[in-house]
Amino acid sequence: MESKDNIALSVRDLKTFFYTNNRCNKAVNGVSFDVEKGKTLCIVGESGCGKSVTAATIMQLLPTLSRIEEGEIKFRKNDEIINIEKLEKNGKEMREIRGSDIAMIFQDPMTALNPVYTVGFQISENLKYHTNLNRKQIREKCISLLSDMGIPLPEKRVDEYPHSYSGGMRQRAMIAMAMACNPKILIADEPTTALDVTIQAQIFELMDKLKKENDTAIILITHDMGVVAELADNVAVMYMGNIVEAGTADDVLRRPTHPYTKALLESVPVLGRGKNQDINPIKGSTPDPYNRPIGCQFAPRCNWQTESCDIMPEISQINETHQVRCHKYEQFFEKYNEKRNSKIT
Amino acid sequence: MTTYILQRLFIFFPMLLVISFLVYSGLELSPGDAVSHMISPELASTITAEQLDAMREAYGLNQSFITRYWIWLTSMVQGDMGYSMAGGVAISEIMAKTVPATLELSMVALFFSTILGCSLGVISALKRGSGTDNSLTVAGMAGVSIPEFFFGLVAILLFAIELKWLPVGGRLLPHYETLWDRIPNIVLPSLVLALMMTAGAMRYARSSMLDVLAREFITTARSKGMPEWRVNILHGFRVALTPVVVLIGFRLPLLIGGSTIIEQVYQWPGIGSMFIRSVRASDYPLVMTISLMYVFVVLTASLVIDVLTALIDPRVRLGKE
Repeated sequence: MESKDNIALSVRDLKTFFYTNNRCNKAVNGVSFDVEKGKTLCIVGESGCGKSVTAATIMQLLPTLSRIEEGEIKFRKNDEIINIEKLEKNGKEMREIRGSDIAMIFQDPMTALNPVYTVGFQISENLKYHTNLNRKQIREKCISLLSDMGIPLPEKRVDEYPHSYSGGMRQRAMIAMAMACNPKILIADEPTTALDVTIQAQIFELMDKLKKENDTAIILITHDMGVVAELADNVAVMYMGNIVEAGTADDVLRRPTHPYTKALLESVPVLGRGKNQDINPIKGSTPDPYNRPIGCQFAPRCNWQTESCDIMPEISQINETHQVRCHKYEQFFEKYNEKRNSKIT
Repeated sequence: MTTYILQRLFIFFPMLLVISFLVYSGLELSPGDAVSHMISPELASTITAEQLDAMREAYGLNQSFITRYWIWLTSMVQGDMGYSMAGGVAISEIMAKTVPATLELSMVALFFSTILGCSLGVISALKRGSGTDNSLTVAGMAGVSIPEFFFGLVAILLFAIELKWLPVGGRLLPHYETLWDRIPNIVLPSLVLALMMTAGAMRYARSSMLDVLAREFITTARSKGMPEWRVNILHGFRVALTPVVVLIGFRLPLLIGGSTIIEQVYQWPGIGSMFIRSVRASDYPLVMTISLMYVFVVLTASLVIDVLTALIDPRVRLGKE
C-alpha cells in the first residue's frame, strides 16, 4: 500500500493465532485497516470476534500462547515507518513505542490500576520512562493531566490511591496515564463498558476533545452501536477474526451492505421509536472458534446464505472508502436501498 | 493506626490472664505434682507419707488450686518469675540463658526462609511450567512433607559425621571467643529449620504471584512500556507480597514451637528443650512462664501482621481514622 502521510497506523493482512492443547484458534484471521491521524476508527462486533486481540496485537501485549502469524503492522513515527510485528515482544524498541507513541485504555478501570500505588505514581511512571522531565516537572505534569481530565482537587488527588477514586474518575486517571506522553495513537478497548451511562458520555467527550487537540488517532473497540454513531469517523465491523465490512461511519451505518452489519444494527433498540419497534436479535450464536464454518463465517446465521457462501468471499470495493466481504452484497444492497427508497416515497 | 494498636494492646493483657489460668488448670489436671517427680523411684519406697506431705507444705503445694494460682499471678505481675521447682534455679536466670539461644536460631531461620522462599516462589511463577518451576515444585513438596527431625538427622549424618564440615550440635563451647567461632554451630539447625519454612513460603509466594500476574494492571504496566523487571517486581511482587507477609507472620510463633524438635536433635540449649523438660517435671512456675511467653509471641505476631499489612496494602485501614 502507498504510505500516505496522514495515516498513523496501517495494518495489512494481520493474522494472530492462539495455540492451546494442540488446537489453533485463528482469533484474528487476515485483518487490514488504516487509522488516520486525528480520526477515530471504531471496531465493532460481538464478543469473541477478535476485536480485543487485534488491539493487543498492535501493542504486542499478547499472552504467551499466541503469536502474530502473518501480516504487517506499520506505524508511522514522525517520518519513519516502523514495522511493529518485527519488533521483539518486550524488547527495548517495543517498550519505547508502548505508552509513549501508542497508548492503551482498558475496559475495567477497577482492575486496570494497581491498587498499591498512588494514581500520581502510576501516571509518573510513564513520564519517567518516556520523557526527560525531572521529578518536580513530572509531578507538575501529573497534576495538570489530572486537572485536564476534569478531576477536582488534582493537587490532593494525585497522592491518593485508586480505591478512593470512583469508577469514572479511575477511567479518567487511566486516560490521563495514556495521554501523558501525547501518543500518536490511543487504543481504547471498550473504555466505558464498566461505567454507567452518564459517565460514559463524559469519557467520550473527553476522548473526542483530546483527539481534536492533539491530533491523536483513536482506535475505539466497542459493541455499542450508539457509541459508534456518535464518535466514529471510520468503522470496521469484525466477525470471527475478519473484517466483514469497513468504511466511513456514514457508509457503514447508513448503507450497511453486509447482512451481519445490518443484523447488528437491527438488534439494538433505538430511542424514540417507541415500545413496539422491531428488534431482531441475530439468530444462533457465534460458532466455536475451533470448529469454524467453511467459507463465509457468518453463513450459518445468515438469511441470505446460498451455496456460494461455502467459499470465503473476497473483499469487494463498493466505493473509495466502503468495503465489504460478502458474495451477495450487490443484491443485498439493492434490496435494502429499495426498501429505503419505497419508505421515503 | 495508633488508636488501633492501643485498642489491641488493651485486650492483650486480659487475654494473657485468661490463657494463663487455662494453662494452670491444665497442669493441675495432669497426674502427679512436682514433689512426685523430685523423688527418684528407689527413694519412693522408703519415704513416708508424712515426709511427702512435709515436702508439699514446704513448696506450698498443699494449698488450694486457686490460692496457688493467685500467689503465682501476683508475684508474676510484680516481675518475680519465681524459681524452678526441679533445679531451684531462678527462672529469670533460665530464661536469660535459653531465650537468646532460641531467638538466635529462629531469627536466622526466618531470615533465610523468607528471602529464599520469596525469591524461589517468584522465579517459579515467572518461569511457570518450565523445568525450573517443576523441580522447585517437587522440592517444595518434599520440603513440606518430610518431617524436620528426619531431615535434621540426615543432615547431621551427612554434613557432620560423613563430611565432617560442621559440628554435630551444641551452641557454645568454652573455647569459643568470637562470633565467628559460633557460626558453624548454627548453620545446620538453622538451615534445617529454614528449609521446611522455605518450602511453604515458596509455594505460597508462587501461587500469590501467579494470581497477581494474571491481573489486568500487569497488562496496564506493560502497556506503559515498563521493562519486565519493573512489571514483575514493582507491580507484581509488591501486590503478591501481602498474603506472603501474613503467612510469615503467623509463622513467628510456630518458629519458636517448631524449633523444639530441632533444638532436641541438635542439643541446642533453647527454650524448646527446656519446655519439654519442665512439663515432664511438672515444674509449674517454669511451664507457666514459658507458655505465657508463647502466648505473648502469638499475640504480638498477629498485631505485627496487622500493622504490616496496613503498611503494605493501602486499601487496608486499621480502625477508624
